[in-house]
Amino acid sequence: MQKQVKKLIFIVAEHFENKIKSVVFELAACADKIKKFCPAEIKVIILGRETEKLSFEITHTTGLDAVAIEINELALYNAEIYKTVINNLAEEFSPSFIIIGHTPRGLDFASGLAVRMKAACITGVEGASEAGGKICFKRQMFYGKINAHITSGSEPVIVTVQPGAFEPYKPGNASPGRTETRRIECAPQFIRAKGIRRCKFQDSSISESKVIVSAGNGIGERENLDLIYRFAGIFPGSAVGGSRILVDRGWLEYRQQIGLTGAQVAPELYVACGISGASQHLAGMRGAGFIVSINKDPGAAIFNESDVCVVEDLKKFIPAFLEEYEKKKR
Amino acid sequence: MKILVCVKQVPESDNSFIINDLQEWICKEPLSYKMNRFDESALEEALSVRDRYKSVGLDVLSVGPENSKDVIRRALGMGADAGIHIFCDADRYISPFLPAACIASYIKENYYDLVFTGAMSEDYMQGQVGPLAAEMAELPCVSFVVKQEISPDHKSIYVEREMDGGLIESFELTLPALLTIQGGINKPRYPSLSNMLRANRAEIRTINSDLISKTDPKQINSRLTIPEKRREGYVLSGSVQEKAAKLIHILSQKSFIN
Repeated sequence: MQKQVKKLIFIVAEHFENKIKSVVFELAACADKIKKFCPAEIKVIILGRETEKLSFEITHTTGLDAVAIEINELALYNAEIYKTVINNLAEEFSPSFIIIGHTPRGLDFASGLAVRMKAACITGVEGASEAGGKICFKRQMFYGKINAHITSGSEPVIVTVQPGAFEPYKPGNASPGRTETRRIECAPQFIRAKGIRRCKFQDSSISESKVIVSAGNGIGERENLDLIYRFAGIFPGSAVGGSRILVDRGWLEYRQQIGLTGAQVAPELYVACGISGASQHLAGMRGAGFIVSINKDPGAAIFNESDVCVVEDLKKFIPAFLEEYEKKKR
Repeated sequence: MKILVCVKQVPESDNSFIINDLQEWICKEPLSYKMNRFDESALEEALSVRDRYKSVGLDVLSVGPENSKDVIRRALGMGADAGIHIFCDADRYISPFLPAACIASYIKENYYDLVFTGAMSEDYMQGQVGPLAAEMAELPCVSFVVKQEISPDHKSIYVEREMDGGLIESFELTLPALLTIQGGINKPRYPSLSNMLRANRAEIRTINSDLISKTDPKQINSRLTIPEKRREGYVLSGSVQEKAAKLIHILSQKSFIN
């Protein structure tokens, strides 16, 4: 048998407004999982205008080494710069894996980087395992009803990790890792970043609610939202939330949106009404204390995440529930 | 000015997906299909550009099995000028590198100022084909676009993209460029009857590309599994009323309701 050489895993650290995004520690957990299958060293890569101080937060919490790349032109995110700089680093260090957040930012550059590096690219990863000497990455398909286990024929492999899928990697007694800081220039040719702004109002009210009754595409008509509000009305300290599609339609406000691009919530009780349970939504509510799901599709993925499953059309079930509840009260 | 929109047919969400005996793929038969929701938004976005600039040519391309022609016809019915179908089987996991290579090769041979794709497909949920094709064709790319505006000289485009937490990033890209369009940012129009009649008669250019067999897929699906239950998943039984009564009992025991 060939002697195993230590591999290298890159983690690309996402940050915003001088703060490291929490998903970075979940990426570290995924890298740590890969390490269990093949001896490897982990290096955190962080790109931006000023990244040295940011990298200390990671190296101190995780004990991992970091390369802080400071690029004047990167005051605002730019996919072209990201792809060029990470590709150059990959040529220098030859990583076997590059772990990136499955976030709107991570997805913006991961695939393009894969083409430049002639790498595989597996997105939306929720787990890693080993089979036949190869690492399999688990990801959802078909509306969360099926898991695929994807392997790559060759290295390097770029992986984007679904937020919320791995427990954050924060070893208690790690001695701080080292940071190597580099200052480079890299001017983009075809993409010019113009700015960043907060367009939708997000308040914390929904995150603080004890109970969230949440509506998805399965509610059908807009009128059925009344049912959801009436249902929520019987739970003290409740709020109504929903999946992205209802916010897109203008039926709910953005501050009610739960999921990857909305709020991440962990109420004591989460009631999912007509929600299919695709990973984007799960990323926002997996931490709930008790989950009840109502869906007429017995195969809906949300049932795998539920404590109690009600296989019914919510248009029939909720009125029946409200009626029974009134009867009981009398 | 020419725009290409890439569309995909996807199975509807309420299908049951049954894994085949070899655990390699799903059984194909019982599925009903529709146009990917994100691609509908991409097409509507392109049609809105054409509404504004009448001279814009708008083609629609789909890489997929024979019934992909249905979504191409629907796109023609919605207002696209011409349809192109690149055949690719769907009896197995298709690595995103394969359709991306086909699209990249097509746009290298046929110049387009703008290429729109959906931000992801609803069935595979990878979000890769657009950005991969862009890089293969050496086009600048922005993903999850929620707004776009072409400059008056048609040499660049202003785009806004969605981040998490309600943040919007904006960029200016030199054309030609590829944008992947976020779902739900517009109201895709319905095909008109006259357009649909025209679409049903329209010739769809079919390409049998050897790129499907020759492109390195980079990654394979080793097996499919049913997602494991992460919680108890206690299924209530009985009539609607009985289920309601049971749920009330559980929730009051846990003091969520009085």
